[in-house]
Amino acid sequence: MAGHGIISSLLITIQPVNFFACFVGAVIGTLVGVLPGLGPAAAMALVIPLTLKLGPTAGLIMLAGIYYGSMYGGSTTSILVNVPGEPASVVTTLDGYAMARKGRAGAALAIAAIGSFIAGTFSVIALQFFAPLLARSALAFGPAEYFVLTVLGVILLSNLTGKSRVKSLIMMMTGLMLSAVGIDPIGGLERFSFGFESAQGGVSFIALTTGLFGVAEVLSIMAERKGPVELLPVKFRELYPNREEMKRSAAPIARGSVLGFLIGLLPGPAATVAAFASYGLERRVSKHRDEFGKGAIEGVAGPESANNAAAGGAMIPLLSLGLPFTPSTAVLLGGMLLHGITPGPLLLRDRPDVFWGVVGSFYLGNMMLLILNLPLVGIFAKIVRVAPKYLMPIVLVLCVIGAYGDNGNLFDVWVMLGAGIAGYVMRKYNYEPAPLVVGLVLGPVMERSLRQTLIISRGNISGLWDSPLCLIMWSIVLLACILPFMMRYLRSRVEARSKKSRV
Amino acid sequence: MRIRGSPLSSWRGAQIYNVLSICKEFSEKNLTIRKEIASSLVLILFGVVFLLYDLKYPLDQWANPGPGVFPLMVGALLVILAAWQLTQDVRKPKPEEAKESHERTGSSIREFLQRNKGEVKPILMMGVFIVYLLMVKWVGFFISNFLFAIISSKLIGARDWGGPIALSAGVSLFCYFLFEVWLKLSFPRGVLF
Repeated sequence: MAGHGIISSLLITIQPVNFFACFVGAVIGTLVGVLPGLGPAAAMALVIPLTLKLGPTAGLIMLAGIYYGSMYGGSTTSILVNVPGEPASVVTTLDGYAMARKGRAGAALAIAAIGSFIAGTFSVIALQFFAPLLARSALAFGPAEYFVLTVLGVILLSNLTGKSRVKSLIMMMTGLMLSAVGIDPIGGLERFSFGFESAQGGVSFIALTTGLFGVAEVLSIMAERKGPVELLPVKFRELYPNREEMKRSAAPIARGSVLGFLIGLLPGPAATVAAFASYGLERRVSKHRDEFGKGAIEGVAGPESANNAAAGGAMIPLLSLGLPFTPSTAVLLGGMLLHGITPGPLLLRDRPDVFWGVVGSFYLGNMMLLILNLPLVGIFAKIVRVAPKYLMPIVLVLCVIGAYGDNGNLFDVWVMLGAGIAGYVMRKYNYEPAPLVVGLVLGPVMERSLRQTLIISRGNISGLWDSPLCLIMWSIVLLACILPFMMRYLRSRVEARSKKSRV
Repeated sequence: MRIRGSPLSSWRGAQIYNVLSICKEFSEKNLTIRKEIASSLVLILFGVVFLLYDLKYPLDQWANPGPGVFPLMVGALLVILAAWQLTQDVRKPKPEEAKESHERTGSSIREFLQRNKGEVKPILMMGVFIVYLLMVKWVGFFISNFLFAIISSKLIGARDWGGPIALSAGVSLFCYFLFEVWLKLSFPRGVLF
């Protein structure tokens, strides 16, 4: 089954249109990863109108290319400039930049690219095995199971994002509330459109994401006023890691791949969490513990592999359940819906071309990125020096076109501006926009499944936990709710005890 | 605290200074907390307005929940969460942040502007954006876009005019050919173009 899958997926991907889409996506993704200020979610939202011309398979391949391309690009600036291009590469600055200052920038970049490639490929293979399996078992899921899954997503995501759990939950609720705008999914009644014809179809997903991630970011950058960045030079000769560096990287890459993949399955900003978790793990198990922070290659190899593996892992719930748990996969889902494709257990049966095309593009894209990134890394790194005064107007204009192009009305551009201003203010108060976007996408699924469950059970609320599967999932939800408080309690107990013993 | 601690000296000036500094310190400590409280209150207000508006939609019965049920649930949860956040804000003063604001706080208008210097540009940018969106209907999409890109580039920090104009012309032409000619998206036209 899997072998057949690999072949058919590669056959779909090497069709010229798809190949081209994969290449363009990978290049845009790398650029987005390199440039601070424009994350993968915003870039994907901007490109969605463009992909509509390409058709669903090629369009989604391009979007997926941006998604994993940004994971590659993010490490480049972390290593060379000490500026992470995206949050998942923040940890890489610790040892990557230290390596660059010791003159081993090339080796760090090469290891990051190789680790990303291995982890990326590993996660696609795993995806290829697990996604159909999960999709098949998900066919047995009723609305009650879907409802619990979305609740679980909300709880876990709020545990993992941002500094404050309550604030994440607040953002999630705001997203769920916004998802209610438009036609009600069951009765067909129009809600919260305030008489605006353009709001009948709901809040434009593209307008909201470009506003929250694009416009808000430009406004934040304007407020910051950073000085010009200093770029460390890389010589082509230095690109090859020496034997010792290779040897020291092998185990961290392997560990990072597995750890990242597993974390990718969980809701939340998987790539970022995976990178931090891998760094922590490597520091704990390494023989060269004292080198960490001063340029240990393990500190680059582990996290960079982990964030790529997580990006692949996060595709599993999206493709097989239709539930996105990260902002990037939420945008990907938005793109799929605009292409008329509903991801979920039926995707593999109804649109195998799309499913295998996207999976195959992961293989091809990873290879392309490795080839692109190794020799061209210097060029990509120079892009970070493009001054914001030239870059930001382009981002703004693209945001406007993206928001306008979705439905072809100016109302959505106003929505985008509103979202941009709101996003700018939200950031000031430590409210993250990511849970809001996920809430907006999960909202309709959550509402529909809740109401269907109640209709099926004739108003009996126990219908929400009648099946054994539901019970198991509810207990995980409960555990996820209690665990953080228990951990805090235990920690305070331990601290109190150690204080006592000191006295 | 210092009021009680300081003896009633004959030097009133010192005492007034003391009282003033306490008031100032108190207000500074509460500056960020006050902002946090305000943000929670705004969220509660948003939730309440949303819930009031939601009452327009039927709830029906449990056996067949109406369109008002789900918004009611999430809206109520938002209000509860925001209220919880509010109690946290009120109860927990944040000493480090208060210290940080202490350094930045001043009383005169000039100092206030100095302190919020970073905010001027984003606010101007928002204004430019609004003017731009109002212009699109009259002047047309591409011309207002051209002007918008130049002005935003200047606002972000371009010193000369040549760079922004060249950039804007390039971006406008690129967008015209990519989106209008190739992708057949039609953008609003104005009096000129």
